Amino acid sequence: MNSLVSFDRLKHYVNLKGVTVEEFARRMALSGPAVEKIHPVGEMLNRVVVGHVTDIRKHPNADKLRLAMVDVGATHASPVQIVCGGSNLKKDQWVAVAQVGAKVRWHGVGDWVKLTPATIRGEKSEGMICAANEIGLADAFPHAEREILDLGVALPDIKVKPGTPLADALGLTDDVVMDIEVTSNRVDAMCMVGLAREASAILGKKFLWSGATLPRLVRAQRATPVQVKISDRRLCPRYMAVRVSGVTNGPSPWWMKRRLASAGLNSISRLVDITNYVMLELAQPMHVFDTAKLRMGDKGPEIHVRLARPREKIQALNNKEYALDDKTLVIADAEKPVAIAGVIGGERSAVGEKTEDVIFEAATFDPVSVRRTARRLNVYSDSQLRFEKGLSTEALPFALARAVELTLDLCGGHVASAPTDVRAGKYKAAAYSITTADVDRKIGVEIPKSKQVGILRDLGFKVSVRGRGTIHAVVPWWRDHDVESGQDLVEEIARVYGYANIPPILPVGQPVRHRRNEELAWEDRLRTVAKGAGLAETYSYSFTSDDVYRKAGYDPSVCLHVQNPLTADFTFMRTTLLPSLLQIVAENEERYRNQKLFEVAKVYYPGTGNREPGTGWKELPDEALEMGCAFLVGEEGWREAKGFVEHLFHELGIEDVSWRRNAEVGFWHPGRSVQAFKDGKLIASVGEVSPAIVSNFKITGRVAMVDCPLKEVFSFATATRRYAPPSIFPESKRDLAVVVDARVEYDDIARTIRRTDSLIVNVEWFDTYQGRGLPEGKKSVAMHLTFASPERTLKTEDVDAMLEKAVLGLKEKFKAEIR
Amino acid sequence: MVSEKLSALKDEMLKAVEAASSLADLEAAEIRFLGRKGELTAVLRSLGDLPESERRELGRMANEVKMEGERRIAAARERLSASAASSVADSERVDVTEPGTRPPEGHLHLVTHAIREITAIFERIGFVRTREPEVEWDWYAFESLNMPPDHPARDEWETFFMDAPVHPKWGKMILTPHATSGTARILASEKPPIRAINIAKTYRRQIDVTHVPMFHQFDGVYVDKDVSLAHLIGVLDYFAKEYFGPERRARLRPHHFRFTEPSFEFDISCGVCNGTGLGPDRQKCRTCKRGWLELGGAGMLHPNVLKAAGLDPKKFSGLAFGWGVERSAVMKSGVQLDDLRVLYKNDMRFLGQF
Repeated sequence: MNSLVSFDRLKHYVNLKGVTVEEFARRMALSGPAVEKIHPVGEMLNRVVVGHVTDIRKHPNADKLRLAMVDVGATHASPVQIVCGGSNLKKDQWVAVAQVGAKVRWHGVGDWVKLTPATIRGEKSEGMICAANEIGLADAFPHAEREILDLGVALPDIKVKPGTPLADALGLTDDVVMDIEVTSNRVDAMCMVGLAREASAILGKKFLWSGATLPRLVRAQRATPVQVKISDRRLCPRYMAVRVSGVTNGPSPWWMKRRLASAGLNSISRLVDITNYVMLELAQPMHVFDTAKLRMGDKGPEIHVRLARPREKIQALNNKEYALDDKTLVIADAEKPVAIAGVIGGERSAVGEKTEDVIFEAATFDPVSVRRTARRLNVYSDSQLRFEKGLSTEALPFALARAVELTLDLCGGHVASAPTDVRAGKYKAAAYSITTADVDRKIGVEIPKSKQVGILRDLGFKVSVRGRGTIHAVVPWWRDHDVESGQDLVEEIARVYGYANIPPILPVGQPVRHRRNEELAWEDRLRTVAKGAGLAETYSYSFTSDDVYRKAGYDPSVCLHVQNPLTADFTFMRTTLLPSLLQIVAENEERYRNQKLFEVAKVYYPGTGNREPGTGWKELPDEALEMGCAFLVGEEGWREAKGFVEHLFHELGIEDVSWRRNAEVGFWHPGRSVQAFKDGKLIASVGEVSPAIVSNFKITGRVAMVDCPLKEVFSFATATRRYAPPSIFPESKRDLAVVVDARVEYDDIARTIRRTDSLIVNVEWFDTYQGRGLPEGKKSVAMHLTFASPERTLKTEDVDAMLEKAVLGLKEKFKAEIR
Repeated sequence: MVSEKLSALKDEMLKAVEAASSLADLEAAEIRFLGRKGELTAVLRSLGDLPESERRELGRMANEVKMEGERRIAAARERLSASAASSVADSERVDVTEPGTRPPEGHLHLVTHAIREITAIFERIGFVRTREPEVEWDWYAFESLNMPPDHPARDEWETFFMDAPVHPKWGKMILTPHATSGTARILASEKPPIRAINIAKTYRRQIDVTHVPMFHQFDGVYVDKDVSLAHLIGVLDYFAKEYFGPERRARLRPHHFRFTEPSFEFDISCGVCNGTGLGPDRQKCRTCKRGWLELGGAGMLHPNVLKAAGLDPKKFSGLAFGWGVERSAVMKSGVQLDDLRVLYKNDMRFLGQF
């Protein structure tokens, strides 16, 4: 959560003499809140000066333009002439003059442009008299359209000379605004006082703030206190209210506007600004009600903190109406809701120009309730943002007193009631004990006890040392939501001591004995093999869309669905990588007619725990590692795909794989797919994709794919390699070509040959021919046969006999003929 | 008669050998005279028909001619070979600037490269890589990490929920928004000393130029007796220097995570501006924030997290760290990824560059 903080202003809360903003940013970031950006404020108003209009003349060539003679100080000999169209321009006016080189935004919109010398309708203009929105001050000084900024009206209390830089006049010259990131647990540091406390401890500088108190309120007139009733003190642990009468509302003075603006807030009116100002100072959001607009109870104003009733509505300050429900905590008067607790105020009770009597609220609300309400109604505010992080009940008296103090200053009036304070129970500060030895052990460096104690004290902990090394620390109220254990005290000491002062030490020790995940090592090996074989690795999303799945002929209904998908492209967890690979092939096909892709990723099966149909996903899915490949290489793609898988199995040490024609119809091409089995387990499906599916993806070429369930594949993988000494007897080779029916499969032929004799040690396919010279429906299969014996040199007669026997077998089994 | 024939043959032979201008010519001459069917060989064979008295003298003579021929041929061969060797520069010249025949060229994804490198770095200091579920129970992703239901910290992760009934014990089924859920599983299943690193796909409901709904994170954990902050700083410093290079600096900034205490954000000095925060034009560096790049989160395991895993926080302490793989890769390699979504588009023009 980021907040904007004026460095200049911060110096009122902590003595930062001699600390530059750069140094502040650097040192704070290493121990606490991070200053992410630094914006110099005055820079924007560079070359914009205060001018005094000494004379006005008619523009000879334009009705709506006039020539203003403006005194811009000693740098120019005499008043300069500026062409101006401002409707409120008059003699003796104090104006903002942008000189040549200044940056302005024409009519407050568009980009900032650098002002250059100009001649307008034939008249020279040495600069520009600005409207507030042309120099980025619209929020601070609202005025009518076509008017110019009248500094005499805007800053009645400021006396300047012509030529004074406007930034000086506004007190902005030396200021910078820091954009500070405060972590969500440290909402206490999201304000001037909290940040000053941090800075004081981290930089070792004096903390200058002391809270306002309420003594004047106690002695105030004996009017009845505001009646406050809380229906659920878990949702509202504390509520304080005080009434101030006889106030005058109106625009805030410049100093207030400026402080709000530097924090990124708009000025509304004095009373509203006061509540925001207190929030910026103390991180405690406040609210102010116009007493006159509240429905009174028997004894005067009543405030009920309760859950909304059925059908209650509220018109909120953002001009929207919200229907409330019984989960929404509201602030109500005697009859109706006047605010959504901690989130946003209601229009009906809002303060306005005529407000004379107000009730200030300072309260604490349950963070979860505020957060849920904001989410439910989709309303977000500075107040809600702070409440939902968790605020201390003990901030309230300070906030209320400060608001009253500022009101009496800016709006006059008097305190008209004793403050009301309703709370759930007595406050008890948490306290934790740690030992200095423990702190040293956890941080890994010895920090003297006095230093440890000093750091905690600087941060506001009440510390007592017990025994030889026990530190007992009472948590200050502003830290009661984030300091939850002794471990937190260690963190406080470590960060202020400085992480940069802790030496880096690499842990040593014995190797650990965790379960080894073999899959990871094999997966890595597989990637290396695939890359070596010329495949390119893809990474696609684990979730996919109905569209892609249906195009591939898969049924999405069996998949685990995402309840809150980002788009229709990501609706369920995939059970196969193949559809996304087809999609990738399709998207690349126009540029790449030749593609070889692979992906290794988990797929998500129902698993054994989710087998009962209709009962939903009771258990986590089975996350199975899978490899998918796609080959867009032409007619022989299936052969490349299969060759790659054979190569992969070889590299993984998997031998004796049996390949069987894939009978499954659907995704695969009915005549061109095959499956690999090892010990009866499926370890790969390979082949061409069905032409219908390929065309669903608008792919023009043939695509061959591979699908390997890697858990099964890896279960057979081995890194062990066996060595058999080569035979000392020479081997014999013979080529054999047989003509068989085209539907006879090579694998069967090879197996038949091999079974003929154990001395036939290898059958190697090298060609299949079909066509001219062969009868229709026949093919010729050509093979190299290797014969070898471990015991002797085979004689030609032996080899011939074996070959003959093999051919005989083929004749019997397949009606084969020698070619 | 025969002797004259021999001497004529010798002259002819030596002339032919001298005349040979190439190894091929020489070979032809050798075959013509000394080959199996050569002219000199024929003479030698015919000697058998001569009477004993002539045979011996002529035999000696013929042998001398043969030896002389062999000697001359050997000398000529040496001479011609040398000149042939010196001329292959021209005769066998090829255009070597033509490209070579490459083996097939495959590619591994940028993320794989990064995961390999990160894994190797941590394996060197004894961390074991593990693999944990990506579809996970709320318990491991949030509850056991000290993030009770309704804690605002949960909002920081835009979580995907699965269309599955809420488990009575483990809560909702979700997609892991961070790899720390894997750490929670490791803590629950292993006994100290634990040194593990979980690298996994993680999911968040965001997609724009700087966010993708699926990305990769690694999350390391080390639990033992007396694990200290100094160890955490040591491990992070080691990683920074190993992965990014010895000239890069690391710093820790206090941060807030529910599962660690203290918690940090881990920054690396910017490699573009060298940590100065200023670009080449002396304007603000566009890559970093004031000289530093945010890399990831780290911290000492919260006692509640150890307790949730059944470990005694009085006996053991631990450190944990984790961040995005893609982010690390991009920050390191200077890959100009203006749009992170490119990583998962699988355009060959992208894939082919790694």
